[in-house]
Amino acid sequence: MTLLDVDGLEKEFGGLLAIDDLSLSVDRGELVGVMGPNGAGKSTLFNCISGVVEPTAGTVAFDGEDVTGEQPEVLARRGLVRTFQHTRQLDTMTVRENVRLAAPNQPGERTVPALTRSQGMQETERRVVERADELIEAFELDHLADEYASNLSGGQRKLLELARVLMLDPDLLLLDEPFAGVNPTLTNEIADRIRELNDEGMTVVVIEHELETLTALVDRLVVLTQGSVLVDGDPETVLDDERVVEAYLGE
Amino acid sequence: MSVADRLPEGDAERAALLGLGLIAFALAFAASPLTAIIPTGLSVFFEVGVLFVVYGILVLGLDLQYGHTGLVNFGHVVFFAVGGYTVAILAAQNSFSGTSLGYPWPLALVAGVITAGVVGAIVGATSLRLRDDFLAIATLAAAEIFHSVTVNVQGIFGGSTGILSIPRPIRTAAGDYDTMMIVTLVLFSGLTALTYAGLTRLTDAPYGRVLRAIRADELVTRSVGKSVFTYKMQAFVYGAALAGFAGGIFALYNGALSPEFFTIQVTVTVWIGMLLGGASNHRAVLGGLAVIMGLRLFSRFANDAVPVTATEFASLRLIAIGMILVLVIRYRPAGIWGDPDELGVDS
Repeated sequence: MTLLDVDGLEKEFGGLLAIDDLSLSVDRGELVGVMGPNGAGKSTLFNCISGVVEPTAGTVAFDGEDVTGEQPEVLARRGLVRTFQHTRQLDTMTVRENVRLAAPNQPGERTVPALTRSQGMQETERRVVERADELIEAFELDHLADEYASNLSGGQRKLLELARVLMLDPDLLLLDEPFAGVNPTLTNEIADRIRELNDEGMTVVVIEHELETLTALVDRLVVLTQGSVLVDGDPETVLDDERVVEAYLGE
Repeated sequence: MSVADRLPEGDAERAALLGLGLIAFALAFAASPLTAIIPTGLSVFFEVGVLFVVYGILVLGLDLQYGHTGLVNFGHVVFFAVGGYTVAILAAQNSFSGTSLGYPWPLALVAGVITAGVVGAIVGATSLRLRDDFLAIATLAAAEIFHSVTVNVQGIFGGSTGILSIPRPIRTAAGDYDTMMIVTLVLFSGLTALTYAGLTRLTDAPYGRVLRAIRADELVTRSVGKSVFTYKMQAFVYGAALAGFAGGIFALYNGALSPEFFTIQVTVTVWIGMLLGGASNHRAVLGGLAVIMGLRLFSRFANDAVPVTATEFASLRLIAIGMILVLVIRYRPAGIWGDPDELGVDS
């Protein structure tokens, strides 16, 4: 069953076509890798899907509904969640707060329950605290839980970002270069986590430069060049494809 | 079991209890036939004290906007003025300048809060979706526009004379001036404590977490499913409505309003107080405001001790305040009681 369906997507930035008639669909439960040389439009594709920028043309359908140009917060609440290529953490908040923030359906985020400290808010918050601590522990950030996010290293920031998005328990997770700037040990750990999430049923799309980790990880690989899909297939076939070799290494 | 054991745990609850206690005491004192006398020379402390607790509501609201949500509002005085003038116009009876409609004051006070909130919503709607600095410009402009409207539209706002004959319910209940000053100070302190309690509850709750996240990074906050615009609008309108309330009670205490009470000086004072104390911390901003207003008060006495004229002294005072601000920004950029990590500044 198709969870994400991108059809004829186009995105123009001042006369430059960053995405050019791109079509791509992802089935529920899949683990898909998206790769391509710099400037191929990988991040722009994510930005269009997640509502950060509005596509010039084409449609994005999520879970059977047209969500083209929908706001990121609406998509996140529906279950489509993304991370950022350059990790974005809330520097002035602690690791704990960063993760707790993402909790969905917290009535205490509305004025009246917050003022009255409603029962619902307190019960939800107890669950949120528990779940956030579980995630922080799972990503081995527990010794940093009360540290401000600005004091984390690059790799720890990647982990924090993952912990934060998992708080939302998304149906579709878009990861933008989760291994960039991460040491090899941590790369393997993150890859294992992604694999686990996928085994548990989460649909994941990963953008990555690093070929080896990606091909070992994903079920299906999509290669982009110049804003459109060059090859789409299982990792081995894709890597053997001459066009891919050309796109990466030149002729 | 002692009284201390029965006190509630949280900061907000203690402040609420204190606020209610002060209000009850003030009302009982005002209703009783008892009167009080303020020793000669001390009444200035009560005047400045009343102004401090009124400005306290302003600084708490401004801190919800700036300290917690990161909204730069350079025209906070406009909401204070809108609240004040709404109450004045609706409640004043037969003022010889401006419009006076003579409605009951409680109704006027409610209308003052609502009007200030609505003005906040309008200003917010024009610029909260845009880049941060647009809000700063829009609020600054709104304050200047309203100020010149109050000066020039004499038929409604009474021009530079302002509006007189605003009912003074506390004066009426308390009888003489000294008793009124004491009752006002206690009552308004109670109201400020209640404001503190309410805002503390709000910012301690997950609601405050979302606000602080918006201050840190809007896109991240949106990408985890929070409607950032709605929160910015709410924080802005709450701050504006609180300022309207402060303006309303000020009008009912003072009995007369004119544009000179609502100059940019008000905005500057609350901003300096907030930054001096430490934004994003309710106690700190009140502390900072106390420092800056205390400094003004004591400099009045200092003027007698130095051989300069009052005008020269006013300039010297400004220089001193400027120096203090420079020193604080240089050595404690997060403010005296502010948390550098929380505010993302290096110190």
